[in-house]
Amino acid sequence: MEELGIQILKSAVSGLIMGLVFALVALGLTVIFGVMDIVNFAHGEFLMVGMYTSLLTSPLLGVDPVLTLPLAGLVGAVLGVLCYFGLIRFLLRGPMIAQLFGTFGLMIFLRNLALLFMGSEPRIVHEGWLVGKSILVGPGVVLESTKLAAAVLSLFSFAVVWWFINRTKVGKAITATSLDAEGARYMGISTEYMNALAWAVGGASVGVAGGLLVNFWPVEPGVGLLFTMIAFATVALGGFGSVRGALVAGIIIGFIVNLPPVWDAILRSIDAAGLRGLEIHSFKYTMVYAVYFLIMVLRPQGLFGWKQ
Amino acid sequence: MEAVKNAFDFGDMPRSELGLAAAALAFLLWFPAMPHSSFGMATMIQFLMFSLYGMGWNLIGGYGGQVDLGKAQYVGIGAYTTAVMMIRWDVPFWFSMPVGMALAVGYSFIIGYPLFRLKGHYFAIATIATSLVLKDLFEVWDFVGGARGLELPLKGDFPNWLYLQFREDYYYYYILLGMLLVGLIYMNGFRHSRLGYQLRAIKDNEHVARSLGIDVHWSKIKAYAMATAYVAMVGSFHACYNFNIEPEDTMSLDLSVLIAMMAMLGGAGSMWGPIIGAAILVPMKNYLGSWLGGQAGFAGMDLAMYGLIIMIIAAAQPRGVYGIVEAMRARRR
Repeated sequence: MEELGIQILKSAVSGLIMGLVFALVALGLTVIFGVMDIVNFAHGEFLMVGMYTSLLTSPLLGVDPVLTLPLAGLVGAVLGVLCYFGLIRFLLRGPMIAQLFGTFGLMIFLRNLALLFMGSEPRIVHEGWLVGKSILVGPGVVLESTKLAAAVLSLFSFAVVWWFINRTKVGKAITATSLDAEGARYMGISTEYMNALAWAVGGASVGVAGGLLVNFWPVEPGVGLLFTMIAFATVALGGFGSVRGALVAGIIIGFIVNLPPVWDAILRSIDAAGLRGLEIHSFKYTMVYAVYFLIMVLRPQGLFGWKQ
Repeated sequence: MEAVKNAFDFGDMPRSELGLAAAALAFLLWFPAMPHSSFGMATMIQFLMFSLYGMGWNLIGGYGGQVDLGKAQYVGIGAYTTAVMMIRWDVPFWFSMPVGMALAVGYSFIIGYPLFRLKGHYFAIATIATSLVLKDLFEVWDFVGGARGLELPLKGDFPNWLYLQFREDYYYYYILLGMLLVGLIYMNGFRHSRLGYQLRAIKDNEHVARSLGIDVHWSKIKAYAMATAYVAMVGSFHACYNFNIEPEDTMSLDLSVLIAMMAMLGGAGSMWGPIIGAAILVPMKNYLGSWLGGQAGFAGMDLAMYGLIIMIIAAAQPRGVYGIVEAMRARRR
């Protein structure tokens, strides 16, 4: 029974922490979607670029990986703007299918460019202020400081983006564009500029997320897909276009991903031989896909969404 | 009877297209007799397989306008049905293929019903989600060999028509070519069928289609099931041709995307589109891949170029190669 208690505590802590990180990954996607109704399949690849940026620039500049976060954000923002002006602007003229495939092509392109330059072996940050340190939260529940820092900085990033969107003039112009692009144009808002800005904000937030993630998650060229799917599930649950929804939904998804270990611990505590086959620890991320499917079918507008 | 007549009625196609198609068919029939490398033969077989996959995708994605990025799950169902039936119960290919198709179609009805409540992006992402769930399940399911997959037993007695095991590749080639012809004729019938017209109406404007009394939801599900049948059929063939199947190569997202991409490159919503797309992309992928991938330090270069081409096509001409041809034809008139 004690094992079960520890596992529940462990999953709850880990779910909250990872949930905040997932929320940060999804933030960029929901901002972009909210403004221009386009789903970016290359979102996970933006994350990968952020991860590599932090990983490579920290030894190059001789600073700690945590200090390279602004740089990762900057690279993400530049990448976002480049993609908008180089690709997305043209895709918006075409049918929906063209938008899907355009960003899909971008995903394949970025992933294989990474493979070409970085090779396929997974890499991770090995030394830094945070790496290897941990806090003992309870009996058997260890909180790695890398993850804790990521969660705290994720909350901070959310606060910044929320402030930017809701409290600044430019942010209000972005909201206006997402509510009614044509109306916004009549009001003298350059929607083209707002779209590019949304891509910059989205790219920056996912770049920072990548820089945080690489401290405890190995990066390889194919790392993006899992996070793209998690981000889709998060955005779908929170409501497409909702910043607040992304935060809440990210935490929920974090808990869902950490459910299987609890379920397995329950099975073990009952200790019936016939139940061993029901363990689901290998379905950690399958749950995410299943949850996405269920949300979309049962409540397409999500928890806080205004768009359908 | 009407349906059969429709299937063989190519009268509404321009003469030039039919002439080209006949020339292409003559080339395909002649190909094994020409001097070719075994790599060339494998490429041609892949081309035929992807043509059929693409035709299946085109049914729902092209004519119906519902972008499906989860076709690989049906490849997997077809392939695994054939493999499991052959390994466990010694069932020949020609019996297990229809069973695989039936299973895939049944499954497509079950998930198609909730799936088609979604539209556009949401539908596309949901199809990815369902196919990844199925793949994850197959990776841990011991009955189908888990992540290591299944290996088909050699039956001996070559050429073995019953179990589809041959030493020479051209047997496989001609069987696939036969499937392609049947598929094309069926597709031609579909174009003229009631469902075909309904589906195109849905693609153009769902509300108008509904106001005309079309049951939009049910039409989409039916077309989805037909598309599934194509894909599952080739999936079964894939199991026999490769002798070895695993979730990663029969059900991966990459395969789903490749299928959709070829149909779109050639021209979604046209009869020849998927075949044109496969004819361009399969050789390009194989030869570029072996040429660049063979040299050290160039891994990934081929697929990066591939991604670039997809981006350019999506941005410049979303209706694909066939769209370019049609635009040129319209200009000449």
